[in-house]
Amino acid sequence: MSDLDHRVRGVDHVAFPTFDPAATVRFYRDVLGFPVVHSICAAGWGPADHPDFIHFFFDIGNDDRIAFFYYFGTTPEVGGGPGAKGDVYARFDAAVPDYFVGSRHLAIHVDDEDDLLEYRRRLDASNWPVEMQVKHETIESIYTHDPNGYMVELTRAMRPVTPQEDLDANLTIDALLDVVAEPDPSFGKLLARKAELIVARAAGWAPVAP
Amino acid sequence: MTTLYVLDIPENTAVAKVAAEDAAVTVGQIGPYFEISAAGPIVIDRRATGCRHAVWYSCVAGVARDSRITQHDKNALRVEPG
Repeated sequence: MSDLDHRVRGVDHVAFPTFDPAATVRFYRDVLGFPVVHSICAAGWGPADHPDFIHFFFDIGNDDRIAFFYYFGTTPEVGGGPGAKGDVYARFDAAVPDYFVGSRHLAIHVDDEDDLLEYRRRLDASNWPVEMQVKHETIESIYTHDPNGYMVELTRAMRPVTPQEDLDANLTIDALLDVVAEPDPSFGKLLARKAELIVARAAGWAPVAP
Repeated sequence: MTTLYVLDIPENTAVAKVAAEDAAVTVGQIGPYFEISAAGPIVIDRRATGCRHAVWYSCVAGVARDSRITQHDKNALRVEPG
């Protein structure tokens, strides 16, 4: 555990390139209903090869934002040749496993099941229908890919996180750091190390009063 | 001896409950974890727990060094001495 005070306040913005601003605006503003809240029209400056660009932002709730760069005069080839998988930022050949390609994604929080299903309705009526709806351990999520190929998740908590899950998460991370410091880390070794940490630390644990 | 640990959260209570149905298995508590132990193998039937897959495949918090998981699939979780 860290004793450092925790001063940050969530996501200011996360930014991605787009080569199709029209579809991007349709998806985020017109389908999902995320307001446009900021944009910058910038003449290329700095490095000589920097194109003129538009940097535009959508509100994703909580005053957090998703932002895009549209660079005039560019095509997806600026990021390399076509790939069998991936998105406009990162492309991969057919041999790269799907779990890896699909690992990087943005998950946007909603309050409850009603809100999740409302976004499901909006997506299903669009060109970007929900591809998957999944109940995970403690959250339920819907997934689609935006017009740029980026995976977008909307998710709701099925119950509040309990204090013991924070303890468990910290024991997991401490066990993981111990295991990856040794050769040949494995899930079995992690569970064995975590069992030791549970015995050493769980009995004396008490939830912090809210 | 066989020992595994399962975090005591609502999704996991059925795991400990089904484990305890075997008279050879002892379910204790260590802090917020169930400590599930037996002299021999511990076998928990997934369908009896009613756990959906995401819960089932993440329900094990720890396995003692003198024990090992020999089966963890859609049918059962089996932990044995060794």
